[in-house]
Parts: sequence; C-alpha cells; structure tokens
Amino acid sequence: MNANDYFSILQGALLTVSLSIVSLIIGIPLGLGLALIRWAKLPLLKDLAHVYVNLIRSCPTVTLVLLIYYALPEFGVSLNPLPAAVLALTLSTTAFNCEVWRSALVEFPKDQLDAAYALGLNQINRMRLIVFPQIWRASLPGLFNEITLQIKSTPAVAVIGIVEITRAALRVGSNTYEPLPPFIFALLIYSAIVFVFLKLQKYFELQMKEKGYL
Amino acid sequence: MFLRSVKSSASQSSSHAWKRKIVKLTGFGVLASVLTVAQLHIVLAASLDEVKSRGYIAVATEDDFKPFEFVENGTPTGFDTELLGLVKKKMSIDIKQDIMPWPGILPGVTTGKYEAAVTAVLVTTERKGTFDFTTPVAESTTYFATKKGSSVKSVDDLVGKVVGAQTGSAMLGDLKALDSDLKKKHGGNGIKEIVEYQSYPEAYQDVGNGRLDAVANTQINLNSLIQTRPDMFVLGAKVGSPVYIAWALKKGNTGVLQLLNGALLDIRKSGAMYQLQKKWFGATFESMPQSVN
Repeated sequence: MNANDYFSILQGALLTVSLSIVSLIIGIPLGLGLALIRWAKLPLLKDLAHVYVNLIRSCPTVTLVLLIYYALPEFGVSLNPLPAAVLALTLSTTAFNCEVWRSALVEFPKDQLDAAYALGLNQINRMRLIVFPQIWRASLPGLFNEITLQIKSTPAVAVIGIVEITRAALRVGSNTYEPLPPFIFALLIYSAIVFVFLKLQKYFELQMKEKGYL
Repeated sequence: MFLRSVKSSASQSSSHAWKRKIVKLTGFGVLASVLTVAQLHIVLAASLDEVKSRGYIAVATEDDFKPFEFVENGTPTGFDTELLGLVKKKMSIDIKQDIMPWPGILPGVTTGKYEAAVTAVLVTTERKGTFDFTTPVAESTTYFATKKGSSVKSVDDLVGKVVGAQTGSAMLGDLKALDSDLKKKHGGNGIKEIVEYQSYPEAYQDVGNGRLDAVANTQINLNSLIQTRPDMFVLGAKVGSPVYIAWALKKGNTGVLQLLNGALLDIRKSGAMYQLQKKWFGATFESMPQSVN
C-alpha cells in the first residue's frame, strides 16, 4: 500500500461520514415525526407510517439503493448516485429511528400528560416541557446505537459507484493483491469514527447526570 | 510465513471474481425479471438518435476485476478501460464512463441507465436473451494447472487424479464434461474425484500441498496465478472449448451496438486489440469470431 492508497481510503472516510451525518440529520427528526404520528394514533397517517416502517425494515439497504437508482427512472425520477445514496440511507435510518423514538413514547406515562393538561399547559408546552425531555433521555442509547449502525451500513451504497471506506479498501486490495492491509486500515478508521460518536453520547449522558436526570 | 500465505491467497482474488460473474447472474436475474414482470420498461436505453442529441454514450465499468478493469491510484485502468480509450478516439461522440461494482452493472444496462456494460461479461446463452453483445474482446478457455514438476501434462494424464474447480462455475461444468469424455475413451476410467471449492485461493493452496493433482480455471486467471507464483505452479492443457467475453448492451439497441462494433472491429483489424490482450492477459485471441450474438 502506498500513500495514495491510504489517501483514497481516507477520502472514502470523508464520504462515509458525510453520508451518515446528512442522512441522520434528516432521519432522526423524521423518525420522531413518524413515531409521534403513530403514538397519537392519527387516522390513516398512523397506518401509512406503520406500512413505511415495516417495508423499509424488511428491505436490505443494498436492495433499497438499487431500487432507488435503477427503478425510479422508470417513473421519471432519475437521480445521480450521490442523491440516490442520501435518499436510500435517509429512508432506511428514518424507519429505525422511528422505532427507537416510539419505544420511548409507548413507555411514557400518560398520567403525566393528564396532569399537565390539568395545570393548563397547552399542547405545544406539554410536548416541549413534559414529553420531549423524557423521551429524549430514554431514546439516547437507542439513537446512538442506530448512528453506529448507520455508519456501518453505508457500504451498501457502493453498489451504485459511491466509493466509501469499504469500497476504497476493496479497490486497493484487488489492485495490490494484498487485501489485508487496506482492510485493517479501514477497520481503524471505522473504529475512530464510531469512537467519536460514542464520546458524544457520553457527553450527553454526563450532562443529564449533572442535571440530575440519570 | 503468515504474510506469504496472505499474499498467495490474495493474489488469486481475480479468479474469485470470475465465478462470481457467472453465478451472480442469478441474483441479477431476479431483479431483471421483477422489472420485466412489473412491465416497468417505460424508459428504454437511449437509441442512437437520442445518444447523438444528448452528446454522449453512458457506459458502466467495474472497479475490481483485474486484469480487465481496476482502479490504480484513483485512476481506472485495465484491459477494458484502455480498449475503451481507443474506442473513444475512433468515435465522434463522447463516452461517459461510470465506475461501479459488478452487481450494479447489468441492472444498469437493462434499466437503461447505461447504454453498455464496458466490462468483462461472459457471453452465455441466458444472457443472450437479455443483452446484445459487441464483437468479442477476449476469449476465455478452461485450462488446468498443476504443481511445478508434476507428471500430469496432458488431459489424459488426469485419469485417476483428483482435480479441483470452483463450485457452480462454468469451469466446473467443463471439468465434468471432460470427465465423461475420459471415461468413454479409457473404458470407464475417468478423473478419480472432482473437488468443488468456494473460491480459488483454497484450491490453489491444495494443489500446493498435494491434496489436489490439478486445478481447473480460465487460462487468463491461471496465467495470472503462474505469473505471481512461477516457483509453485505450471499451466497444463486445455479442458474446455472457448467462451467469449464481450461488452453488453440492452437487447435491441442496434444503433449504438453498430457504432461500438465499428470502432472495435477497426481496432481489432489494426492489431491494437491484440496488443492490449498481450499486455494484460499475456496471450492474444486472434481466432475469435466477429459476432457472438
């Protein structure tokens, strides 16, 4: 492996991180939205959300990527590889995040809502002051778990020509006929990325501890 | 010792890919048939007129199929990429090349995202139903290789011997056909045992340690093996009849096919194609037919 090979894998890392972050920034709030729709039992919408979550959860990410890149043009939507990858990763993480948020919501004691209602809090304040802080704390481990999984599911988008960490490492290995060094380097990069996110999780949890929530 | 064994197994990753190509057709076929059944073929591959008004032909090439196509220091190279470079020079129209892994390539052609798969596609009867192929760019023949110094030299020497090939591969099919030929010829005596392997590095290892007397694979792959490990392996004889490797286009896209064929046949006539074959495969295939469709 020469310097160029290391550099190409690092370039892949940049793509892995950006794809993960963009899809998570969109997917985590969207997941919350879907979870709230299901929690509030909004007619029709809750069923649509339910179907969406189950469809996406049963669809392997690679298949989803292939469908978006190759099947959407049949319906007149032709995306370039990068937007197609972001769309697939976002659709996928939204479904999983929805379930993380929902697990916190179903555990949420509804008598607290009644109490807040009795105190005259309007709906926005009930959500903002009572519900959200508590489900955020309960969802944190699950969300960070999904974040680490998302980083590791990005190799799925390589199938449409996006060169993220794993693909970059594979290219180096198939050229040098020595696959082990690039894969070890790739593993180190993945570990470093996940390490940063786990530190972030720890930081959030520490903050909660200081505030006396945990 | 450790590094050495890594190197010897790693060096065969291209032969690995060979079978993948043949077997992966199944997975791809599922997607293709789903699309066909759903009658989603609204968007067709751009015809010659559309390509001309758009100004370019879109093609897809693999990134890890050495020596046919691979990426070196961020730049795509290999036999097909260099051949495409020659084709570009012959044509007035631009060619836009996307690099992606094998599983995305043939679906890209059937769905019309790309006009052609400029990659080493083995021409098979099944694929002829879905694709039109350009004039062949390379030939693939199954050969066997043995450990250096082995007494097995000709096909007849394989009688009573243990031979390995990759499971589900075209090479295994060739080996089985050879076995029944040998049995006819030698009064019921054929190959002692055909051992099927998941991938070739293990088979090569078993030839090295004597568990196998020979291993059957394509000539191009065995050449690359022997080039990397000339101390260990030698090429034996031909096991099967030649199959061809060509670029694949969506069936019926005759205009673009003729355009590519014109350039490819010119390049072949001038001898430049044979030079590239010599450079990347160590052999030239001058007896290939003009058309494989």
